[in-house]
Amino acid sequence: MDGPSPTTDPLRNEFGSLNDLAHELASLQDLALRGSWRSILDKVSRARSLDLLSKPHDHLIYLSYNVLALTKLRRFTDASAEIDSLHDFNSHQYKYESYPQLYPSRSGSMVPFSLRFIHAQLPFKLENRQEGLDRFYLLLSFIRQKIKEKGSNSFQESIKIWRKRENFVLHCLIGHHLGAKDFIVCLDLIRDLIDHDYLDPVLISKLGYIQMQVGDIEGAKGSFHRVETMFNEGKNDGYSSLSEVEFRNLVNRNKALIYLVGKDYVSAVREYEECIERDHTDVVAVNNKALCLMYLRDLSDSIKVLENSLERVPTVALNETLVINLCSMYELAHVNHSEIKRTLSNWIAGVAPDDFDASCTRA
Amino acid sequence: MSTAPQGTHSLAFRVMRLCKPSFHVDPPFRIDPADLFVGEDIFDDPLAAANLPPILSTQLSKSMDSSDLTYGNRFLLQHPSDAMGFSGLLLLPQSFGAIYLGETFCSYISINNNSNFEVRDIIIKAEIQTERQRILLLDTTKSPVESIRAGGRYDFIVEHDVKELGAHTLVCTALYNDSDGERKYLPQFFKFVVANPLSVRTKEITYLEACIENHTKTNLYMDQVEFEPAPHWSATVLKADELHPAYNSSTGEVFKPPILIRSGGGIQNYLYQLKLASPDSAQMKVEGTNILGKLQITWRTNLGELGRLQTQQILGTPISHKEVELQILEIPSLINLDKSFSVHLNLTNHTDRELGPFEVRLSQDSVHGEKNVMINGLQTMVLPQVGAFASSDFHLNLIATKLGVQKISGITVSDTREKTFDLLPDVEIFVESD
Repeated sequence: MDGPSPTTDPLRNEFGSLNDLAHELASLQDLALRGSWRSILDKVSRARSLDLLSKPHDHLIYLSYNVLALTKLRRFTDASAEIDSLHDFNSHQYKYESYPQLYPSRSGSMVPFSLRFIHAQLPFKLENRQEGLDRFYLLLSFIRQKIKEKGSNSFQESIKIWRKRENFVLHCLIGHHLGAKDFIVCLDLIRDLIDHDYLDPVLISKLGYIQMQVGDIEGAKGSFHRVETMFNEGKNDGYSSLSEVEFRNLVNRNKALIYLVGKDYVSAVREYEECIERDHTDVVAVNNKALCLMYLRDLSDSIKVLENSLERVPTVALNETLVINLCSMYELAHVNHSEIKRTLSNWIAGVAPDDFDASCTRA
Repeated sequence: MSTAPQGTHSLAFRVMRLCKPSFHVDPPFRIDPADLFVGEDIFDDPLAAANLPPILSTQLSKSMDSSDLTYGNRFLLQHPSDAMGFSGLLLLPQSFGAIYLGETFCSYISINNNSNFEVRDIIIKAEIQTERQRILLLDTTKSPVESIRAGGRYDFIVEHDVKELGAHTLVCTALYNDSDGERKYLPQFFKFVVANPLSVRTKEITYLEACIENHTKTNLYMDQVEFEPAPHWSATVLKADELHPAYNSSTGEVFKPPILIRSGGGIQNYLYQLKLASPDSAQMKVEGTNILGKLQITWRTNLGELGRLQTQQILGTPISHKEVELQILEIPSLINLDKSFSVHLNLTNHTDRELGPFEVRLSQDSVHGEKNVMINGLQTMVLPQVGAFASSDFHLNLIATKLGVQKISGITVSDTREKTFDLLPDVEIFVESD
């Protein structure tokens, strides 16, 4: 086809900025980053009622943000209903080639992949774990089929993206099996990835955590040793793109866990402090250090560590697990703990994103 | 769980079971911008493939910049394994949970002064009370805590290896001088129940099969299951060939799949071959008892939390002292219907005196019903005397009256005075047509 070169055509700048991709996408994205999911619902509703969405892909992208917002606000039934309103992801009405005037010389599905992901994950939140697993495994074979098809057409960038999605779904599956304590399946899935040369130090560390959870301490040590070797050999292939600080902290945190399991909490605290010194936003190190202090009978300092992190780096430290831990500590430290928990709840209400589950304070 | 008496106390105990923390797992709804901003097949378009990646990576780095105060980390994926929802964040135990025999009970105990005045000279004790005994875990009598200020606390951690089943009470007491100088006594009680984690059933001949069933609510990682044989026995554990051979991944690592017994009724079997340590010890077998040994079981739960148990002595079936033993040595491989076949038998005299003469016959046992394999010819075979510790071979002609799998059963040896010495155990044969 005779046309402008793919990279420079000022008249056809379809990809200059976010707003070129969809109507006011930059604003939607900004709201999402702030966790203002209620505002997103408002914005989508407004755009729909004022008929501001002209193209089919705009509708799909807005629907995706809407579904995601409903999910974040824990309105899982509503989210499910909205996805179901599309009926069939693979329908020709969601294909670029069905609208040749709008998308000349473009073909394929315009469904944002996150909709397929959310569709697979929602059943878990609706107490239907088996359905969720089935959907994820079906999604996995769908992705693998796509990769095969793209391969025969040699769409390099596309194949890269679909392979990323394949890994993504595998990681979701490992997480869900882990949540259900299907440890053998998890270990098999991870080994499968590793044996196919997917050598992500973060994944191998997580293999170690699973081995530890199960009680196989020697196995965990082996996995952590492998990660440390990868660090020392400067191996950090493209999989996880860890910065040097992140990689160092990972190694330290793994060491800390071994100490923790061996009840050497003093050494564990020392490892975590090294992490925090290097990167004060390492919330896993902060949280776990606080727990170690508690096991060292220092409840006061464990509370201080968590409170300080919330104050210092709220957008990183504010997560439900850390808050649950802090509240458990309050319940132990104070006979009348409702007051202090209420103070915490009020502070959270002023700072937290819409999707924060405030019930975790048990206030 | 705690019962504190009425009346105003300045102090109060707060207690939290301190078993190991657990990893938090919760696959999140976090996504990659490439899966939200555009259609999933857009990268087939070379224009998109060239121009989109920069926009996407800008978005990603924006969300990871913690000086830009956003909650992007709750929405976008920053590393591929974020999708697992398993970051290594630890969670404190959220409930007391179940506690089992063989585990270690560990508890954080905090004594709070929730009054507005200082208290002094506090003697603190912590004990575990069971049906059978009272175990002291902590006692500050020799060095009382000087004071706890208003709003202050004194903390301690206690540990106790649980060796009894049933009701346990953690008794915490404080004897202190309150602000009026009055000496006060505060007892608080925290009850819990210890259950049996495993049941062990054994079956054996000279093989011991132990079946371990998990009654707890969590999976158990079997660290060690060892059979300690009694003095005159030796034991070897028999394992099936591994279904999944040890991995040899690209970096040459070897992986041993863990033995996990699933919670709430999962079962793992162990097989041991037992041999008498020396031939002489056969003589040591006392009639009626046969102690084989004990099982030592060590298991791990969450984050390596250890538990251990030892079974009681496992007994073998009592050795019956056979004076005369009847055995089949050989059966023909081809047995035809209604055709006589010869079975080679051996009779052994285990006593130290001459026995016999003997009679070998098919016992008319109504329990076994109609017999399909009978003695052909004379229904009683007479055998001459057999000397002390000697044996004698003979042949018996049998005939089968039905096709298929049949049993030779009821062959008995007795002496001429009707005393039965031995009954040959049932043997299966296959009867074919001509």
